[in-house]
Amino acid sequence: MRDDTLLKPILLVEDNPQDLELALMALERSNLANEVVTVRDGKEALDYLFRRGAYAERQLGNPAVVLLDLKLPKVDGIEVLEKIKAEASLQAVPVVMLTTSREEKDLLRSYQLGVNAYVVKPVGFKEFIEAIQDLGVFWAVVNEPPPGSFKPNRKG
Amino acid sequence: MGGQKHGLLIEEEAGRQHAGPDVTLASAYSLANCARESIHIPGSIQPHGVLLVLSATELTILQASENAEALLGASAASILGRSVGQVMEQLLPGAVAQQLSAELGSMAGAAENQQPRLLRTLDVAVNGKSQTFHALAHCTSDGIIFELELGKEGDAALEVHPLLDSFTLLAEKMATMEDLAQLTAAEVRRLTGFDRALIYRFDEQWNGIVVGEDNSGRLPSLLHHRFPASDIPAQARELYRVNRLRIIPDASYRPVPLEPPLHPISGKPLDMSFATLRSVSLVHVQYMRNMETASSMSVSILRDGRLWGLISCHHHEPRRVQFQIRRACDLFGRVFSLRLAALEHAQDYERRIEVRSAYAQLVFGMADQGDVVTALAQHGRRLVSFADAEGAAILTDGGCRLMGKTPDESDVRALAQWLFSTSQQELYSTDALPAVYPPARAYKDRACGLLAIAVSKLHPSYVLWFRPEVIQTIKWGGDPSKPVSGSGEHAVLHPRRSFETWMETVREKSLPWKQGELDGAVELRNTIVGTVLRKAEELAALNAELTRSNKELEAFSYSVSHDLRAPLRHIASYAAILKEGGAEKLSPRDVRYLNTIIASSDYAGQLVDKLLSFSRLGRAELQRSRVNMNKLVQEVQQDVMEEKTLKAPQVTWHLGTLPTVQVDLMMMRLAVHDLLSNAVKYTRKKDEAIIEVGCRDEGNEHVFFVKDNGVGFDMEYAAKLFGVFQRLHRWEDYEGTGIGLANVRRVVERHGGRTWAEGKEGLGATFYFTLPKSGVTA
Repeated sequence: MRDDTLLKPILLVEDNPQDLELALMALERSNLANEVVTVRDGKEALDYLFRRGAYAERQLGNPAVVLLDLKLPKVDGIEVLEKIKAEASLQAVPVVMLTTSREEKDLLRSYQLGVNAYVVKPVGFKEFIEAIQDLGVFWAVVNEPPPGSFKPNRKG
Repeated sequence: MGGQKHGLLIEEEAGRQHAGPDVTLASAYSLANCARESIHIPGSIQPHGVLLVLSATELTILQASENAEALLGASAASILGRSVGQVMEQLLPGAVAQQLSAELGSMAGAAENQQPRLLRTLDVAVNGKSQTFHALAHCTSDGIIFELELGKEGDAALEVHPLLDSFTLLAEKMATMEDLAQLTAAEVRRLTGFDRALIYRFDEQWNGIVVGEDNSGRLPSLLHHRFPASDIPAQARELYRVNRLRIIPDASYRPVPLEPPLHPISGKPLDMSFATLRSVSLVHVQYMRNMETASSMSVSILRDGRLWGLISCHHHEPRRVQFQIRRACDLFGRVFSLRLAALEHAQDYERRIEVRSAYAQLVFGMADQGDVVTALAQHGRRLVSFADAEGAAILTDGGCRLMGKTPDESDVRALAQWLFSTSQQELYSTDALPAVYPPARAYKDRACGLLAIAVSKLHPSYVLWFRPEVIQTIKWGGDPSKPVSGSGEHAVLHPRRSFETWMETVREKSLPWKQGELDGAVELRNTIVGTVLRKAEELAALNAELTRSNKELEAFSYSVSHDLRAPLRHIASYAAILKEGGAEKLSPRDVRYLNTIIASSDYAGQLVDKLLSFSRLGRAELQRSRVNMNKLVQEVQQDVMEEKTLKAPQVTWHLGTLPTVQVDLMMMRLAVHDLLSNAVKYTRKKDEAIIEVGCRDEGNEHVFFVKDNGVGFDMEYAAKLFGVFQRLHRWEDYEGTGIGLANVRRVVERHGGRTWAEGKEGLGATFYFTLPKSGVTA
């Protein structure tokens, strides 16, 4: 049995309830043991990542991967990405952009900001699951904890 | 014939004589005004008549020529101060003298400076002998000039009108200026009995050329001879213009002075501009002697008030031509001028019709093509013949189109640059290009004459017409470069003695451009500029509109990609989950419904994606690189055959040799993909699918084609094929989004090419696209 507590959570940032549900289903089906933390807008995502606001008290440690929707209320995905990549302690966190947009300018900007993967959500559900597995999970699994990153204590 | 005079140089020579016999040419010309003064005030007359100056109201004789005594039997001194009526009564039967006085009286107050009028022909008994006189009169500011010109018995019987009638009828049959000139020369000679009658025409530079001649054979022929403009200077031409008739019956005459020499009222020499008997210069008389012509007559031919030319007659012996015949010749000159005007108007009209029709074609082409250059180039032959040229070129900012016989493109471009830097005029023409632009010497066989219209003020955009060199031999009536004998400052003005024809070979000249051609060119220019301007305005408006709609499109596609795609995804995904999770609870029909929902939303998703990529094709910048079309087609062909959705049949491929082109690889790949997958798709139901890909070289462009033996299409719908979402087949037969060919068209048009298709239902289709060779960017 894998020790779940050794695993860092996956941070899913998604405002649309249907997309959120579908993404959770996709993650569920990929048999990942990681906890999935969901936040619903860019501000909340930043609060989580920077341990402030509602997340000021959360345990230390970065997520294994951030699945970030591009279009978000309050602070959009690109800006969240920018903040992550500008912060030394967060730079190593892989970010997978999940988006409905096929606009190349978004894609370009994301890569300029150092996104690790960019997924245009396919229309078909099967393809969507495949995409999540291919990219999101890939990063979650291969992501070795960087030196000095938090290893959660075993729960008693 | 050096300084050939044939009666043309009377006035000029008179002027020179006045300036003095030993002045240099330069100073003679500098005395032009003085010369002008002298021409009409010689102070003497020729001896073939008597001249009397009468006061306007009382008809008192103010001046009389000294030969009054010899011809009328009454000395000038004896008649001065007397009324002309009294004098006439001594010479004529009372009734005739009274009528003559009445006629002279009625002239008082008539318009001044008109041609003399023939009052009547008189038989006067002088010293017991009867002598015929023609009584001529005209008004001047110095009074009435009354001339009694010697005539012959029977002169009065001549009727001018029948002569004129028959000449007019003949003239109306003449179709060219040359024929008309020939006829006029012949008729004038027949009427006057002179040895030689010439029709002499001035060109734009006032050089003269003999265009018609009739000759008894006793004087040398001068047909087609030229005479330099300096032979007849401006002031002389002006006098020819106002007074159309001149006659010298006997060049060896002795001038007869007037008595008194100065007009008693004005105190000046008498102005004899219009006098028939006016004396001419001794220099001229010398010329005529050198030429062995004893008498001459000239009649001016005017065209629209301008001196067009002369009817010039000579005789080797003295010859008098009576007033009515001279008058008839003058009328012949006028008929000539009118007929010429009619001919030229007819030609002009024909020309205009031709210009109009060429013009209409070109304009129609421009409207049709939406592009002036293409339209003009398409009607290349029309454009060339439009200016009666042998070649033409259209130069625009980037392009250069050559038609007919022209210099090479690089030469044409250089010429246009030169033109642009030297002339800011809308119209430029020359028939001697090498003289102004020496590099043209290298291609004078094609472009010795140049007619150019500037289409733009900003860059060297021109329509150019070219004419080749025409080497001509010109027979000058004397060496035009040597108007004066002697040399240096002491060159002496005196009559030329050499009458040898001087041959000049004229090189580096084309046929001259006619006024009608220049007018036509200007008209065409205005149309082109108008069209270009209108196009530019339309383009500017379109551009603004495009920018706006591009922005809208961008916003639209962004929102489509998000807002439309997301719910489609949700529909497809939830239907898939439902189908999965509830498989056992659902009836087969429910499952079929769910499948339809999934397939439809998938399809809608594809549509959205393709539409977005189509819009991107229109907006993305072209990234040109060298693309080997052979390789590209082979790669795409493999991809297509591997695509499962196409259900590709067995296909026999024929790949022709394709060129390497400068295109955007990604876009071209997409276009080729769409064309090939189309061909595969529509040959699917054939037992033996054959697809051919090839390219033809057609001058300025490559014409690519993809030909299949598939289901084809009805040509009636050919125009719809390349539209977005246009489908000609039922979904069950051939699936598809209807965007493929729209993509092809967009890609090709972005590269400056065209697309079209040919096909027949059941018999296959061929899709064409072109790529310009000179990588035009859109």
